[in-house]
Amino acid sequence: MNKVLGLALGILAAIGGFVDIGDLVFNVAAGATFGYQLMWVVVVGVIGIMVYSEMCGRVAAVSGKAVFDAVRERVGFKAALGALISSEIVNLMTLAAEIGGVAISLQLLSGLPYRWLIVLAIAGFAIVIWVTSFEWLERVFGYGGLCMLVFAVAAVKLGPDWAKVGKGFIPHVAHNNKLLYAYFAIGLLGAAMTPYEVYFYSSGGVEDRWSPKDIGLNRANAILGYTLGGFLSLALMIVGGALFLVHGISPEHLGTIALGAEQPLGQVGLLLALVGILFAVGGASIDTVFSGAYNLAQFCGWEWGRYRHPRGAPRFALTWVVLLVLALGIVMTGVDPVILTEYAVIFSVAALPLTYVPILLVANDKAYMGSYRNGRLANVLGLVYLVVIMIVALTAIPLMVLTNAGQN
Amino acid sequence: MTSRPAHGLVLVSLTLAFSGCNGGTVDRHALTNDASTLDSIACEGALLAHDVARGRTTTYFAREQAEELRIQSSNLADALSKRPALAAIEQKVRLKAKDAAALAATLQRLHDHPSDRAVGAAVERSLKKRGGCP
Repeated sequence: MNKVLGLALGILAAIGGFVDIGDLVFNVAAGATFGYQLMWVVVVGVIGIMVYSEMCGRVAAVSGKAVFDAVRERVGFKAALGALISSEIVNLMTLAAEIGGVAISLQLLSGLPYRWLIVLAIAGFAIVIWVTSFEWLERVFGYGGLCMLVFAVAAVKLGPDWAKVGKGFIPHVAHNNKLLYAYFAIGLLGAAMTPYEVYFYSSGGVEDRWSPKDIGLNRANAILGYTLGGFLSLALMIVGGALFLVHGISPEHLGTIALGAEQPLGQVGLLLALVGILFAVGGASIDTVFSGAYNLAQFCGWEWGRYRHPRGAPRFALTWVVLLVLALGIVMTGVDPVILTEYAVIFSVAALPLTYVPILLVANDKAYMGSYRNGRLANVLGLVYLVVIMIVALTAIPLMVLTNAGQN
Repeated sequence: MTSRPAHGLVLVSLTLAFSGCNGGTVDRHALTNDASTLDSIACEGALLAHDVARGRTTTYFAREQAEELRIQSSNLADALSKRPALAAIEQKVRLKAKDAAALAATLQRLHDHPSDRAVGAAVERSLKKRGGCP
């Protein structure tokens, strides 16, 4: 039974972490622009996040330490500080975007004013995080986010050309508009491999008190959870291709994504989509705020963790409160959460090597991991993805400039 | 881990990225982009209006989404009517500004009557024609 409940961590990471506002925006926009041509990139991203999450979870299970603890110990102060600063900046941008997304979902459900809902969302998160246990956070947001499955039903109901969908899984380069194609490919990879996911995942493993006997559970979490997340990403892209591309619509609002479920499924589809988006983006807000607090606490060697009462880890608690307040300040400026998401994803791509290089080093360290260090397959996949990560990190910002952030 | 030239490249890239917003002189490329954005808004509005006409949406969703689209087209109308344009296309730009303002007015109707099926049907017809939607 505990193992079944343990899978909730993977589901939360997948729905609330994998399918966050970045995935919603980039997958639907990619479908609306290039149809099903970029499906293969989602698969590449899903395998990448599986490979590195499995390493992070294994490190947590073997050493009882989360990624930043291990990074600080094994790669030195300067490299760890660089990773910390970049991850905290991207985390904060992502958190602000996710909270904006929560407020938009609530507005589309209730019709209440956006700014009130931002304040309500922040206050709600603070209370929920303060009073709720980690297990309940996992369950509520993980299972609530399953409403997102409505997009899979919508994708089928829209009747896409399945032969074209199948061809989309074969890696290829677009015949025209190559720069925009590359921009979307990099955005999709960035959305799939966002750094906060692995930080949250490994810290969650420590919170759940994983030990070496949980390595199988870790592997199942990484594979099942992210496969489900990837499945939803593909469904979103199909909706983009089958509905928005056909109608000449370039989605620029979160509500447009919900329209993708309303068109084929009516009111029920719309409500499930809005609730699913609310829980997915809400779960991602919690992942992000915790990820930011985990990283700083682990880097500084503070007490941390949700299993401790805030009085037992006061600096950790203060960090997530401060992050929520900073995110409130950013969203209240009126910045568009969708645009903020695009910038957050592209900047996170530029910072990817600072996250993934130390993970590969630590997971491969015999002194640290003993017999649980990376095997040949994990090393080959880890190195291949490292090359991919380096290429996308170097090209992300130039491509954003050249394509005017996808506006061409 | 990053060098000074790398920092410089990032700063220049950021400056260029953030300066690439809705300013400057309207040229043919910008006009084409703005025109396709207007068509996109019209077609999305038509889909929304279609669901209003058939009672397949909620009042709150139709109202809020119509408002988002109205604001977007209104901002475009404002920008296209005020921004300097190349002399050769200035007339087209100002005409497009009027189109955008008319689009905003149509979406305002949907926002004001988010559960009225007759209004939904009328708005759908108008927006489909305006955006050349399938």
